[in-house]
Amino acid sequence: MTLTDFAIVYAGCLVTMVGFRCIPIFVLKGRDMPDNLQSALNLIPPAAFAALVANDLYKPGMFDAGLWPALMPLVAALAVIVVASRTKSLVWCAITGVVSYALLMVL
Amino acid sequence: MANYVVSNLSTSSTESSLAGYGGLCCHRCACGHHGKPGGLQRAHGIPYEHDVLFGCRAVHDTQHVVGGRALASIIASVSFVNTRQMLYAAAFSPYFTSVRKRLTFLFSATVTDESFGVNLAKFQEGSWSAGRATLVNLFCMTTWALANVAGVFVGDALSIPTAIAAFAMTSIFICLLVSQKITPVNCIVVAVAAAGVCLLKTVGLSGPAILLGACLGVCAGMIARKAGVR
Repeated sequence: MTLTDFAIVYAGCLVTMVGFRCIPIFVLKGRDMPDNLQSALNLIPPAAFAALVANDLYKPGMFDAGLWPALMPLVAALAVIVVASRTKSLVWCAITGVVSYALLMVL
Repeated sequence: MANYVVSNLSTSSTESSLAGYGGLCCHRCACGHHGKPGGLQRAHGIPYEHDVLFGCRAVHDTQHVVGGRALASIIASVSFVNTRQMLYAAAFSPYFTSVRKRLTFLFSATVTDESFGVNLAKFQEGSWSAGRATLVNLFCMTTWALANVAGVFVGDALSIPTAIAAFAMTSIFICLLVSQKITPVNCIVVAVAAAGVCLLKTVGLSGPAILLGACLGVCAGMIARKAGVR
């Protein structure tokens, strides 16, 4: 990738990314929103977190390499769910996830 | 600026960002390292990671971006992956009603997946400010930047399996998901959003999968509420 190509990609991505990030908040902030829209906004957190988790845990063809490699992140995720429901601690969840995943890879 | 940072730097903001950027370090070192064989030069490291990797999250995206594709294709795929940020911005909008435009811009331009989760949880608790939230964003971004650049320079010496390092982020998202209020409507939202992402990725729509999956979840929740589910 040449410097010119890099600059084009950089500028193009910067424009779209800033647009996606900034336009909605400026359009919506300070406005009286209808109940339906307010209700939809309240549903974004569980929807977004579920989408992020599913995006991380699911990969098309994840079972191609065998059952166990595909199950490892799911088993580690179960361990994190247990810790999360008991502690609600981000730090402990991150530690639990990494350690349990690493241990499962060693097995 | 220094006074502003110091006055807003609180224990709570550093604790909140700790979970986010602690896990980022190893992962981003690995990401920076993965950029090298794709043709990235060291001089590209800082701006590249700030504005391109920032929207991609995973190493396979890094390889996708630097794998010799047409420039328009690279821009389109990075932009698609970033469409989820529209949802994040919309979710934050009620908390920025009386916040100055410059701070709103700085905040919204620097949201990451990790800081979205941490900040939104804090805003929902009611004890959070736009200044603190922006600091969390900046801490996460800075750590992300430094870890990526470190990966470009010393990546050859590291042998961190990316899957393990990346799982710290997944674990944080799981914690934030589990922390949501458990109601029938939320259960429907979560199930539909997760199923939607899996379905979209299966049919090859990995780029907008998070945005579209989350939108499907929100729509399902709205329909459920109209049907009388609480």
